[in-house]
Amino acid sequence: MRTLKFKKIAAFLTIIGIGIISFAFINQERITVKGSDTMVILAQKWAEAYMKKNPAVSVQVTGGGSGTGISALINGATDICNASRKMKQTEIEKLKARYNTLGVEIPCAKDGITIYLHPTNKIKELSLKQLSDIFAGRIKNWKEVGGANAEIRLYGRENSSGTYVFFKDNVVKADYAANCQTLPGTAAVVNAVKKDVNGIGYGGAAYSVGIEICKVKKDANSPAYEPTAETVKKNQYPITRYLYMYLRNRPTGAMKTYIDWILSPEGQKMVTEVGYFPVR
Amino acid sequence: MKKFIFLIAMLGCIQMNAKAQSVEDSLKEQISEMKDRINGMDERLMTSESDVSKLTKIKFSGYIQAQFDNFENKAIQPNNYFSLRRTRLKAAYEATDGIKFVLQSEMGPAGFALKDAYVVLNDHWIKSGFFAKAFSLTAGKFNRLNYEVEYSSSQREVPERSGVIRAIYPDERAIGLKLEINPESLPLKLQLALLNGNDGGFNQFSDTTGKSAKTIIENKDYDNFKDLMARATYSFKLGSFGGLDIGAHAYYGSLKSNTNATLRSDYATIDSSKTGDAVKRNWIGAEFQFFADVLGGLSIKGEYITGKNAILGGSKFANGNLLPNFQNNFAGYYVYFIKNIGKKNQFAFRYDYYDPNTDIKGADIKVLNYTGANSMKIGKLNSSKADLAYTTFTFAWHFYFDNNIRITMAYAIVQNEKVGTNAAGVGNLTESYTNPDGTPGVNDYSSIFKQNQLTLRLQAKF
Repeated sequence: MRTLKFKKIAAFLTIIGIGIISFAFINQERITVKGSDTMVILAQKWAEAYMKKNPAVSVQVTGGGSGTGISALINGATDICNASRKMKQTEIEKLKARYNTLGVEIPCAKDGITIYLHPTNKIKELSLKQLSDIFAGRIKNWKEVGGANAEIRLYGRENSSGTYVFFKDNVVKADYAANCQTLPGTAAVVNAVKKDVNGIGYGGAAYSVGIEICKVKKDANSPAYEPTAETVKKNQYPITRYLYMYLRNRPTGAMKTYIDWILSPEGQKMVTEVGYFPVR
Repeated sequence: MKKFIFLIAMLGCIQMNAKAQSVEDSLKEQISEMKDRINGMDERLMTSESDVSKLTKIKFSGYIQAQFDNFENKAIQPNNYFSLRRTRLKAAYEATDGIKFVLQSEMGPAGFALKDAYVVLNDHWIKSGFFAKAFSLTAGKFNRLNYEVEYSSSQREVPERSGVIRAIYPDERAIGLKLEINPESLPLKLQLALLNGNDGGFNQFSDTTGKSAKTIIENKDYDNFKDLMARATYSFKLGSFGGLDIGAHAYYGSLKSNTNATLRSDYATIDSSKTGDAVKRNWIGAEFQFFADVLGGLSIKGEYITGKNAILGGSKFANGNLLPNFQNNFAGYYVYFIKNIGKKNQFAFRYDYYDPNTDIKGADIKVLNYTGANSMKIGKLNSSKADLAYTTFTFAWHFYFDNNIRITMAYAIVQNEKVGTNAAGVGNLTESYTNPDGTPGVNDYSSIFKQNQLTLRLQAKF
């Protein structure tokens, strides 16, 4: 240290400092959003409404699943990642290693993971334990839960989906049964169950249109609830979760304005319109 | 006539009906055939899906680091060249939830080397409570428990690990068993490992008789002593501002003595011991990593390690002498400053200090020699270049061309500890070399001579 040419180093560091500040204040008018398929209809609605109000800002939304979105955030391929599950510690470590931040987590909506059944199914409610047994393959026939004598057919999401991970970690708590058919999107799960009298599937509340919703209870002795604004808000519905937006850094400029708008009453009103539940 | 027309009409109707029936039957047959075909396709699709889902459990990753180095130290000849620093291919197979196999190889021009080979078993049985899914057991060859060791070279912000880490964890890996406790409800991570601890043969003296001293078979242990290692880290979140991780690690190990003496790094004390006794290698370290979201990401990371390392001596040499074991007190530390600039650029600076012998000063080097009654006339009883402390300042700039490509320019300013001078004013430690034009040259360690290094690296990662 004693022999270093301090002036040269000071000049070098000054140049770097100026560079850092200049880059930080570059205004971003194009926002890319990628991730959760559960959230894609909501994100698109937000984007359309916001772009109509702010023509100078372009918001580009794509799905792919929460895992894909988080990878894109880490790789720098998206500005905002939509995720229907929390980021894992290993993913935060990757963000730390590449960007030296822990990421910014913004809960932007609430959801009750909905259990879809065919309208002709006699079953109207299931406990978390029964759901775990069904999706882990320990219960294979509807008669084991009080239904018809028919084989249960399972429909779920792909492993890049946040809903897949959340449902597995919080409900199934084991590996999914090998015969659980994975489908690319909640709409596909709903369609599959609509066509299969012995089918059962799970997904976001916003997709539960034209399908039978199964009530869920915490255990055999608890009351069963449907995912509604009230039961989700009061955390009565047992499979309630937040939907998140993740960023690499604290938002500035156009991105901050956009996120503030999403969390405003106007943005949160759209959450309800789509079929999810507002955080505020 | 009317009857005849009626009869004809009836016959026509019957024929049409028969035709319709035949068309219906044919359609039914075709639908049934199509259904069978679809069912067949469904079955095949299910089989393919099952096969593909098995394949998705295998993940390949890797990276290649091609670089150009320029050394200012004239004793290094050639002093500039292109090289492949690392060429890694990693395969991970997650057989089922909680069981993972990992193989990583280095496939450089020098040949094939197995870097990692381990199996991880995650706890599947504790499903609720504080320790739910908290335990994992790793067996095989894996990184030793240290922040800079476990931090991937493909991600590290300067080209090489710091001096102290390279000295005490050569090759970074060891064979053994590791238990990790990582509770989901607490940002705490505890690691405990039992290792062979032979460092792959790196901790033996070069044999002065010409016989290779690195005779330890890397796949087995050299002795019956097992080394114990532990590390604990805890993460604090500092709101939306960032986070602070703190941690500590300790190493408690031994090597089996091949000789009956151990020289301490003061070059004044020899401890007598029997062949087969344990030569201790113990050290402790403390670390921190601070992350802040200030105009983009910023981090400051550091670690301090101090303790006692050891190198094994030899058994009887041709001249009948013994080479004693050498036990050195050491200390080393590093501090990184890293700043992301936009999405594509990153600046890094590291201050790195390593003193392999804290018992003697630079002025003592080559002056202090063991001269006691048991003097064994072996060169290693003299203090030498190996006792010199080094300070390195590394500046690096990274440009992330895309998700896979990183271009790095790094400049390391290397400074040696100064040694004393003799009556003629010449350093007590000098190093002779030959210039490319054949003229002789000398590096005098009584001053800080030019030994900086420029590295230009292109890294492709997938």
